[in-house]
Amino acid sequence: MNRVGFVYHSDYLLHAAPFDHPESPSRLLAIVEHLSSNGIADRMIPIEPVYPGESDILRVHDPEYLRKLEAACRRGDTTLDAEDTYLCRNSYTIALLSAGGAIAGAEAVATGMVRRAFCAVRPPGHHADRHTGMGFCLLNNVAVAARYLQAKHGISRVFIVDWDVHHGNGTQSIFLEDPSVFFFSIHEHPSFLYPGTGRRWETGKGAGEGTTINAPMSPGTGDEEYRLAFEQMLQPAVERFRPEIIMISAGFDAHREDPLADIEVTTEGYRFMTRFVCELAERHCGGKVVSVLEGGYEIPSLVASVAIHVQELLGT
Amino acid sequence: MFVVRRMKKHVVTISPAASLYEAREIMRGNNIHQLPVAGENGKLVGILSNRDIREATLPVGILRGATEEEAVELLKKTAVEKVMTRKVTVATLTDTLEDAIVLLHDFRINALPVVDDKGRVAGIITRTDVLKAFIEALGVGEISSRLEVVVPDRPGGLAKIVSIIKGFNVNITSILTTGHAEAGKRTIFFRVATINVLPLKQTIQEAGFEILDPSLYHV
Ligand SMILES: [Zn+2]
Repeated sequence: MNRVGFVYHSDYLLHAAPFDHPESPSRLLAIVEHLSSNGIADRMIPIEPVYPGESDILRVHDPEYLRKLEAACRRGDTTLDAEDTYLCRNSYTIALLSAGGAIAGAEAVATGMVRRAFCAVRPPGHHADRHTGMGFCLLNNVAVAARYLQAKHGISRVFIVDWDVHHGNGTQSIFLEDPSVFFFSIHEHPSFLYPGTGRRWETGKGAGEGTTINAPMSPGTGDEEYRLAFEQMLQPAVERFRPEIIMISAGFDAHREDPLADIEVTTEGYRFMTRFVCELAERHCGGKVVSVLEGGYEIPSLVASVAIHVQELLGT
Repeated sequence: MFVVRRMKKHVVTISPAASLYEAREIMRGNNIHQLPVAGENGKLVGILSNRDIREATLPVGILRGATEEEAVELLKKTAVEKVMTRKVTVATLTDTLEDAIVLLHDFRINALPVVDDKGRVAGIITRTDVLKAFIEALGVGEISSRLEVVVPDRPGGLAKIVSIIKGFNVNITSILTTGHAEAGKRTIFFRVATINVLPLKQTIQEAGFEILDPSLYHV
């Protein structure tokens, strides 16, 4: 069994919408309760998220956006845009703690304290770009952690696998011109699903040309098509890039039961994907995997998928 | 939408008396494939494409032992007006974008010079410009989700759906409507600036409209 860190803090439940919203605290609560009641949590090493320094966030986000977000929360604004990206008075603080959770997980893996980590954080991050949050995301947790690893642990090459059903447009734009962070995103085709980006010819820009891969999937596709994409696109990319660590933007909204999208991945599909990424990490970067929760909005399938994901990280 | 808004206003033209060599250099320098030919007072008298130039040098190209210099010689001594197409399909400043699209399609051309009421070259619109307009109209690349709704082909359906969307305080970034496979119905295609289309879909369905399931309509 691998040493696997589990990042969680009950304060993550304090970011809550003033109206009915799919990205609710109950998602995380259900995950934690399920992992605890099944004894899975006991097999993991608890890791406390830390509040990041402002400089940790500023490696990714505009100072202007940070101030705007903080002020909006203090004023009591209820959303950042329409009703997608809601805010409450705690949201700024909890968004920091969410990014801090990804940092804490990454740190534990980088120092060898654990071999892998699952960061059960919210709000999610992968739609947030340098200048603004969107699509339920305030700060880009994975991007902040990737930059932290580079700045504090001398890691030069980070590989991000984003299997949330929505394209990780924020993460892509942050690293678009950066050859040191590889961004691989598999998602429902942008003609059908938010955010409408992530077409197959978006492959990076300038110095970063070739270190972005998008695998858009047609509505109705599932485990089999995902397996092919992992074997034919992800594996060669990892082999070429030779990362020192692999991060996962782990959304579970590609599940067939999830109401927000039209992809038919099953819990077994998440087992396959997790195992596949872990095996790549074993071969190329000493098994180092940092998984950070993104979306997943149908509670039973979310909970079941996360449990399988974590068990595969544990290797049991 | 009018042609004027989408055309390139800075048009590189060439005089009919200029040589094909000059024309080729101008095309290469500006990375364009055709040149409107403007005579006195900027009046459009023809159009020259790089294909016209290639065809003009063809006789030299197929001569045995002909050299690049000989081809250049020929280009230098041939005037544009000897090779250009005189009967030019044009758009006018008051034409709509739809006019331009139909002209480009029906006449199988790549570029449409736009002339003013005196016949002078005022702009040029190419297939690329039209495609770009279409990309924008479809809302491609804008942060948004897609909704396809089937409505009975009679007035009021679109209005009802739009007011439902407005009720959710969501921006519509694009609307398109076409005939549906089934007679008496239309499909309306929306792009809406939200990730959370679920409540929208439910309310639209509750109002009696059919939402197309994308996993069925792509096959
Ligand atoms: Zn998602």
